[in-house]
Amino acid sequence: MLKKPLSRRQFLKLAAAAGAGASLGRFAPGLAYAQTGIQVADGALNPFNIANVQAEGVFFSGGFGHEYIQYAADIFAQIHEGSTMSVEGIQRVGERLRPRIIAGDPPDVIDNSGAGNLDTAALVAEGELLDLAPLMSAPALDTPGKTFAETLFPGSQADGVFDGVQRYVNIAYTVFGIWHSKTLFEEKGWTYPTTWDEMLALSDNIKAAGIAPWTYQGKYPQYMQFGVLEPMVEKIGGPDVWKAVDNLEDGAWSHPAILTSLNNMKALYDNGYIMDGTEGLTHTESQAEWLQQKAAFLPCGTWLENEMRSITPEGFDMVIEAVPADDAAKLHSVIASAGEPFMVFANGKNPEAGMEFLRCLLSKESAKWFAQNVGSIMPVVGGAEGVELSSAMTSALSVVEQAGNDILSRPSYTTWYSDLNEEAKLSMGALLTGRATAEEFVERVQEVADDVKNDPDIPKYERS
Amino acid sequence: MRRRKYSLIIPFLAPALILYGTFVLYPYLQAMYIAFTSWRGLRRAPRFVGLENFQKLLGDDHFWNALYHNGIYVVVLPIVTLGFALFLAFMITQKVRFSNFYRVTFFFPQVMSVVAIGILWSFVYHPSIGILNAFLKLIGISNPPVWLGDPNTALGAIAAVTIWQAAGFYMVIFMAGMQSIPTSFYEAAALDGATRGNIFFRITLPLLWETTRSALVFIVINAMNMFGITFTMTIGEAGPDLATDVLATLLYREAFTHSRFGYATAIAMAYFLIVMFLSFVLMRVTRRQTIEF
Repeated sequence: MLKKPLSRRQFLKLAAAAGAGASLGRFAPGLAYAQTGIQVADGALNPFNIANVQAEGVFFSGGFGHEYIQYAADIFAQIHEGSTMSVEGIQRVGERLRPRIIAGDPPDVIDNSGAGNLDTAALVAEGELLDLAPLMSAPALDTPGKTFAETLFPGSQADGVFDGVQRYVNIAYTVFGIWHSKTLFEEKGWTYPTTWDEMLALSDNIKAAGIAPWTYQGKYPQYMQFGVLEPMVEKIGGPDVWKAVDNLEDGAWSHPAILTSLNNMKALYDNGYIMDGTEGLTHTESQAEWLQQKAAFLPCGTWLENEMRSITPEGFDMVIEAVPADDAAKLHSVIASAGEPFMVFANGKNPEAGMEFLRCLLSKESAKWFAQNVGSIMPVVGGAEGVELSSAMTSALSVVEQAGNDILSRPSYTTWYSDLNEEAKLSMGALLTGRATAEEFVERVQEVADDVKNDPDIPKYERS
Repeated sequence: MRRRKYSLIIPFLAPALILYGTFVLYPYLQAMYIAFTSWRGLRRAPRFVGLENFQKLLGDDHFWNALYHNGIYVVVLPIVTLGFALFLAFMITQKVRFSNFYRVTFFFPQVMSVVAIGILWSFVYHPSIGILNAFLKLIGISNPPVWLGDPNTALGAIAAVTIWQAAGFYMVIFMAGMQSIPTSFYEAAALDGATRGNIFFRITLPLLWETTRSALVFIVINAMNMFGITFTMTIGEAGPDLATDVLATLLYREAFTHSRFGYATAIAMAYFLIVMFLSFVLMRVTRRQTIEF
């Protein structure tokens, strides 16, 4: 535990020595402590009365690494002299932490992300997670006059609310949509469609030009759910459709908006617009094909850029757009939410320190470091100020800006009911390979929804 | 005298027995208990539900689907793999040139990790850059299947990889068995003018019976497992429409995706009993008089 700050300092020295950008220039090598640029707002220093706490954090270390978490821990240690937050980066969070949770000895704060993570719904049902209400209403660390909740993008924390209680906060802001190469589209004179009919017409042109109009992450058909189905249904049918699904209402899946959307998607298969072999590819394989311009459109979230950075051709200029639906006026609404859920354990040793750490992590200062060094954004207002962003990130922010108040969320059943989530994924795969019609999709998924509803062992949630 | 013998044996055995008891027997017993409970794998203690999990098992389509796939493997893998391995072993022991080279080459997949094999073969089956479909297109099949993406071919694609991997191992076992057959039998047969086929079916195969029996039990147990290769090649959801789901991947999903540790353990129990039963039946059915030589 004591070693962590050292290795971090070494990292900073290395980064500075390698000239890894002016962004790191303010960390003069050889400082006794890693100094952050945090400027604490008046009266926002210590709402949880932290004093001499040695807290423990265990975090998923994936595409974002965990240096940004260490940076927040540095802020934590700097503003609370004598207190520390240890930072351990791990993979397969569930397998590593489950024994400790069973033993009643969880870390204070975790990042429950990545493959093999803990089932969030189960954690909530068992009362393992702290109610974060005090954190949400605490003053923001470096935004004067605002509460912590007010500094976060609207809607970005919606999925962390279970029965009205905030159980976790998301720290990476993700926009979900349809990607294409700006360069390719300019070269061919294609413009992004504003309705689904236009999408099909354009797809026809693209196919005629010898490129497959669409591909998706084959073995993971859920990308077509958050990329296309979920926003399209909400655009066509309004917010009540998914609400009914989430609340397990009878026949919720047979809503006409869902059927229309499924048929729209099936048209991609029926017309041969989906790249041959797509269903046999993994996410990275299909994304690689797309980068080689074998397909024009691809559904994904904003992590795509980071994920494919090493093999993205120069000048590809990937940009994200919202999915078109029945009406051009509804083009701009888009699913955007934050991911990477950070949770504080209710029976941890220092729950207050856990919340305080999250306040540091979602500060403006930490968000800027994240934007600069990780190349992604935190859902923090003003968190990307003065930071130079890539074409992907710029397009994502402009999509969000155009959406204005029409920011949609993913349906909650995807985290609430794992059985329903699984069946929807499988059925989506079947739909896109012509093995199921829209009606069959609805029938299959509704059946599982009914099973879930009638299973007394599955804890139920509701949203309004 | 007897006392002294035990006072010597017990201290030597105790550490191993304690370790075995703590880390093998105790978890088994605990698992048997968990199978009769409802448990989310978190802090709240398991709740005893009696036979509920097993009742649910009988009506669970996913369970029968997975068991059906295991059943296919249990029938196909032994026949094809052992047949192939016997063929290879017989050919290589017929004094072909480079036989050592073949032996090492065929055995090689066995020393590779299952994950590495899964990833390598995923590339082979890759629809656009994979060597298999490239070859098929070369010989004029313009629209080859998407092996791992089509529910009709995914299970077969995985079976083929397993056969490829396991054949070398059984080949080596059979070769060892063949080498212990006295050469005088072969010489006598050759003098009588027996063909290679005759020699194989009338001398080699009957004298290899004991080896074949153990190989059969091994491979049936393997066919009941298939976790690693399924998990790496067709991802967590076990293939398109669960076309490659087996008991091991199903119970993994039930536990770690759906947080039903009690139910998952019940599947594991059923799985354990099925394997025990199959092994027992196999040993009984294949029992023959051992030939001494």
